[in-house]
Amino acid sequence: MQPLANITPLKPASRAGAVEIRGVGQVFKTSTQDVTALEDVSMEVKPGRFVVLVGPSGCGKSTLLMMMAGLRQQTSGTVLINGAPIPKPDPNRVGVVFQEASLFPWLTAEENIEFPLTLRGTPKVERRAKAQDALKLVGLDGFGKRHPHELSGGMKQRVSIARGLVQDPPVLLMDEPFAALDEQTRMTMGDELLRIWAATGKTVVFVTHSLTEAVYLADEVVVMSARPGRIVDHLTVSLPRPRTYEMLSGDVFGSLRDRIWRHIRKSA
Amino acid sequence: MSGTLGFKLARVAVVVAVFLLWETLSRTGIVNPRLLPSASDSLAMLGELLQRASVRNDLLVTASEVLTAFILAVPLGALIGFLIAENRYFADVAKPLLFFAFSIPKSIFLPMFILVFGVGFAEKVGYGFFSTIFIVIMSTTAAVESVKIEHLTVARSYGATTAQTAFRVYLPSMLPVLLEALRISMIFNLTGVMLAEMYASRNGFGHQIATWGENFQMKQLLAGVVMISVIAIAFNELIRWIETRCSHWRT
Repeated sequence: MQPLANITPLKPASRAGAVEIRGVGQVFKTSTQDVTALEDVSMEVKPGRFVVLVGPSGCGKSTLLMMMAGLRQQTSGTVLINGAPIPKPDPNRVGVVFQEASLFPWLTAEENIEFPLTLRGTPKVERRAKAQDALKLVGLDGFGKRHPHELSGGMKQRVSIARGLVQDPPVLLMDEPFAALDEQTRMTMGDELLRIWAATGKTVVFVTHSLTEAVYLADEVVVMSARPGRIVDHLTVSLPRPRTYEMLSGDVFGSLRDRIWRHIRKSA
Repeated sequence: MSGTLGFKLARVAVVVAVFLLWETLSRTGIVNPRLLPSASDSLAMLGELLQRASVRNDLLVTASEVLTAFILAVPLGALIGFLIAENRYFADVAKPLLFFAFSIPKSIFLPMFILVFGVGFAEKVGYGFFSTIFIVIMSTTAAVESVKIEHLTVARSYGATTAQTAFRVYLPSMLPVLLEALRISMIFNLTGVMLAEMYASRNGFGHQIATWGENFQMKQLLAGVVMISVIAIAFNELIRWIETRCSHWRT
């Protein structure tokens, strides 16, 4: 865990896309006892970095992500996005991509992507144009008129990513977005996400259960332990980009994955 | 849902076969024609009945009772159902009770409605309302529960207001279940009003059907049965048609 004092505040100008978590704690009060879900969590994500949160079930990694999205408030500590607190969801600063089934089935792909803009009252022509750009970006040009049930699992998640990016926020948060996909689609979507990330330069914070996915995608991997949720390791993946399938069987990849696995086995 | 042309033709064939069987049984005397007048005679009688002012008046009376009961029961039932579903405490307390109430045959309460309201419009509407409201409440709670928590989270994360969440998430999520509720409640409603009219009434189409039955006017009775069946099926199919148009996304 990084001690608080080591985090040097970025200059305000360079804080667009920065995610700073300082001494964050979360306590759930139940009728019988208080459960500490997160304890003194501090981390910093520099603008444009791809950071993956991993940890056993119940380590609070999704809770932490929901705090960055402004969907949940921490009991103590500070969460800063672009250098400012996030007391409620702010789609201009943060786009969120959820697990499967988060698209509205009664809307077409492009209407789903436009949804955040519709809420803000953006004129239809402008909305449509932005949705088309987002569809192109995620490789779904020409699929805008389809409904979610007419799309494959991978395509649905591409639409979710497009919806998360349509307002051009500096930060994209992803909560186990590929968990429900089959292995092959998952690999393809990983490559696709890296391509989109490289093209847009967004800060990405990505939660997953898969260690392979974590190391394959990330610049940095933050490893958490369960009950209470703490950061036990924060490692940098030195593998060059673009990442390739061959790297999965290499020594660097293997040793990083082993290191994460040892942490998780210890705490689970 | 509606199937291919082959299925449609088969369905038409079944209906035609039923009428042909009816006609044959009656014409050949296998069934006494006094008990079962032929289909053609009954349909001819139907045409004749529609010309009669008294019959048209009875239909109007029944229609006004059915619609009044429906217009009262559906919004009120939907509101109660919504409040129950949105409040955990209400839901836990009320749900088993609703199931109890729903399982009781409503017809045993009909004499009480007559005692309270007297024989007439208010009694028919009251009993129709009573027959309908439980199914509306139960269907609405089911409709609210069909709203996915993931969809609400998405709306929240993109900054939706309460009104936007209501109209852009709750309403479209609930619409298919609500339309189905509307359809099924009409079946209950129509059954209730017809029963009340047949049991004790001075007018209304149900009263007319009961009278024809008692007087052994089989041609009129069968014509009346066909007429009410057609009206009920038409309403049902109309809502089903809207349902399939609104819920094409449901798989």
